[in-house]
Amino acid sequence: MHPGIYATVANWIPEKSRVLDLGTGDGAFLEQLVKTRHVSGEGVELDASSVAKCVQRGLVVHQGNIADGLDQYGDGAFDYVLLLGTFQELVAPSEIIREAFRVGRQVVVAHSNFAHIRVRLQILTSGRTPITRSLPTPWYRTRNLHFLSVLDFQDFCRESGFRQQASAYFNARGQVRFLPNLRAEDAVSLLQPEAGSMAR
Amino acid sequence: MPAASKSFAQGDLQDQKVAGYQSALGVTRPQTVSLPGFRTQSGFTFEAVDVSYLTLGKLAAARDNAILVCHALSGSAHVAGLHPDTQRPGWWDFHVGPGKAIDTDKFFVICANVLGGCSGTTGPASINPKTGKPYGMAFPSVTVRDMVAVQAKLVAHLGIAKILAVIGGSMGGMQALAWATDFPERLQHCVPIATCPSHGAMQIAFNEIGRHAILSDPNWHGGNYSEAHPPAHGLSVARMVGHVTYLSEFSMTHKFGRQRQAEATAAHKDQFSIESYLHHQGESFVKRFDPNSYLYLTRALDRFDLFESQPPDAMLKRIRARFLVVSFSSDWLYPPVQSRELVRLLKRANIPVTYVNLDTDYGHDSFLIENPPFANLIRDYLEHGRQHGLHHPPAGRLETAAK
Repeated sequence: MHPGIYATVANWIPEKSRVLDLGTGDGAFLEQLVKTRHVSGEGVELDASSVAKCVQRGLVVHQGNIADGLDQYGDGAFDYVLLLGTFQELVAPSEIIREAFRVGRQVVVAHSNFAHIRVRLQILTSGRTPITRSLPTPWYRTRNLHFLSVLDFQDFCRESGFRQQASAYFNARGQVRFLPNLRAEDAVSLLQPEAGSMAR
Repeated sequence: MPAASKSFAQGDLQDQKVAGYQSALGVTRPQTVSLPGFRTQSGFTFEAVDVSYLTLGKLAAARDNAILVCHALSGSAHVAGLHPDTQRPGWWDFHVGPGKAIDTDKFFVICANVLGGCSGTTGPASINPKTGKPYGMAFPSVTVRDMVAVQAKLVAHLGIAKILAVIGGSMGGMQALAWATDFPERLQHCVPIATCPSHGAMQIAFNEIGRHAILSDPNWHGGNYSEAHPPAHGLSVARMVGHVTYLSEFSMTHKFGRQRQAEATAAHKDQFSIESYLHHQGESFVKRFDPNSYLYLTRALDRFDLFESQPPDAMLKRIRARFLVVSFSSDWLYPPVQSRELVRLLKRANIPVTYVNLDTDYGHDSFLIENPPFANLIRDYLEHGRQHGLHHPPAGRLETAAK
């Protein structure tokens, strides 16, 4: 994910929040939140060497996949649940977000934008599955299961009853403010349930 | 995945004649203290209990660097270093010592033989002061909570108000858990490894096979056997069964496969290596372990229930420690699913828990063998514990932000 995404998310999260970081990787971002925003944070990560790095950083980490990780927590245990960079790899994104809203008040989701101009042009000109900076692996090795765009995600939120309270878009040059569905490579949204929705 | 190193061929250190094994700690000798007045959970009162214990490293002036290591079923206070009498390395010498996972240059390490044991602490083989003979089956039933209560007396005797971390595998892990609920203010970190909050039917079943082997040995005599003729056969069968459950299909295949024993004797012609390995394990265990202790300790394991048949919340509410819970993917005696359930209960009670399921192929024994990923995990976790000291914010994750 674009580094701007992490800076944006760090700004969205108030000091001393309770944060659950799903797919926390080596814990670098979570450690940053703990140190700079003084959050009480926990990570969920499957990869053994990444988990070891989280322990080295002194983070509280749960080794398991995201669904197993979420199942560990009680209702409303966190203020923010983060899904940065793994969303398009989830087998069942709807269920995961619903679970994330069970354990957290707000959910932050980042995803790659598969409608970026370069992706569109590559499909059009080469007739093959595109390989770009934000989609670096060929189709047979990618971990991405879902190929969604900024607009797809907006539709998904509307249909699922989540409000995008804030969103930010990025490409190689930095933040994208106009035509994000065409120009952005990565997107991030701060979600909250629509009043009266079933999301919680 | 290259989890444990090749020196697994040596196995764990307990019953191995590890030729030329050097311990960085040199020779270490457990000592014994008599602690007055102890009442068991079952209501039996000892006027005094002997406790065999070993300390390693130096207690810091602030008395804030103590780590209590709890041993498993067949362990003893001799956790590391070479034993002065047997020359054998301590059961956790791979992981306890200068520069090791539990670094004796940084920590003051305490390990005590459990109540009901047979390596210096009062147990069924001890002399009953009322009769002048060994207790045998007159020894009161012992629980994991009794073991922990005796350790707490020892820790107080050593002048330590709060332990930085209580750590142990298997039965030692149960003790660590009982510490967290029974003496919540007296430990900062709890590190239960390859353990569970209570035995399931399969775990009880294997223990019952071991007990039955001892009880049906003609030498057992209702527990009043002579020192010269203990129910050695029964105990060795119990140990053989135990050993199978500590290994994994992978480790047995790699270590033994279908190899035959080189020195075939008339009695054991054409013997498989695994057979002679189990015989050796059984025979060497008999030399150092009391059959009645085996009965008492396995019963304590089977009866242990962290939650004492109550809804878990009541017990969990007491806990103040932070947790590192470790399981091993190939451990079928204490399978990871039990650790995950424990973690779930702890987390739902808002207790900070780090959970790691190490991908090792060596079964339940994975914590006893040389195992770098395991050693690094323990080292890294304890290092952060040390840096934060005894007053890292308590288990108050959820209190920090109002909803």
